[in-house]
Amino acid sequence: MPEFQAAGVRPVAISVDSTQTSANLRRDAGYSFTFLSDPATEVIRRYHLLHPAGGPDKHDIARPAEFLVDPHGVVRWVNFTEDIRVRARAGEMLAAAQKIQ
Amino acid sequence: MSTPTPAPDPRLRSNKLLWIAGALIVVAVLSNALFFVKVPGQHLLPWLNLVLFALPLVLVIAGLRRTIAEPRIYRGRTASWLLAGLSGVLFAFSVFALYVSRNIPDASSAPQVGQTAPDFTLPDTAGKPVALHDLLLLPIANGAPPKAVLLVFYRGYW
Repeated sequence: MPEFQAAGVRPVAISVDSTQTSANLRRDAGYSFTFLSDPATEVIRRYHLLHPAGGPDKHDIARPAEFLVDPHGVVRWVNFTEDIRVRARAGEMLAAAQKIQ
Repeated sequence: MSTPTPAPDPRLRSNKLLWIAGALIVVAVLSNALFFVKVPGQHLLPWLNLVLFALPLVLVIAGLRRTIAEPRIYRGRTASWLLAGLSGVLFAFSVFALYVSRNIPDASSAPQVGQTAPDFTLPDTAGKPVALHDLLLLPIANGAPPKAVLLVFYRGYW
């Protein structure tokens, strides 16, 4: 993640996982960026990213999505994968971040 | 008086289609590892994966037809059936994987480029409430406010 810091990008991960589950993932994966928990899918719904019954035991989860938001709160780049096995590459996000001034 | 062992049919050939199919099955299984490599053009991988599992099935069926139509020339009928079963199951599994991994809601209602990202407040791993408007303004490790916040929504349950 030092590339993101060098590019001035603050990564923030959001999922339905509890704060404890996210804390474990963050520690085990060695990540230092912010993980936020939305078990009630309140923010996931606000962003229209709900995947109803998409998780184990038919739990509601978020469909994968990435947004670059500038300091004014405006979305500058998005990535909505159509296949959960295909995810955005760090290079794509960094290239998009370079274009924000 | 011993019966002489019949001379092998000079036309007897090995069923190369089966060997090629077997090799392709291995390649197809290994191709799944490509999903973990963030290569350009990755969006084509699910389709490449499907084709790689379909090819050996086609070859095995062709090989099986040969052993049935010309059993005196092509051996390996049992192997053909086994390979046909294996590649059939693997192909069915790859179709199922494609269906499951693409069966996600569309994101046409989600915030698009140029729109404002809705503000929110959620707890971080320490349970502390964090607001998007703070994430946009508070300095990052280099001491300056970020040029951008990268919001990553993920499926969870890791």
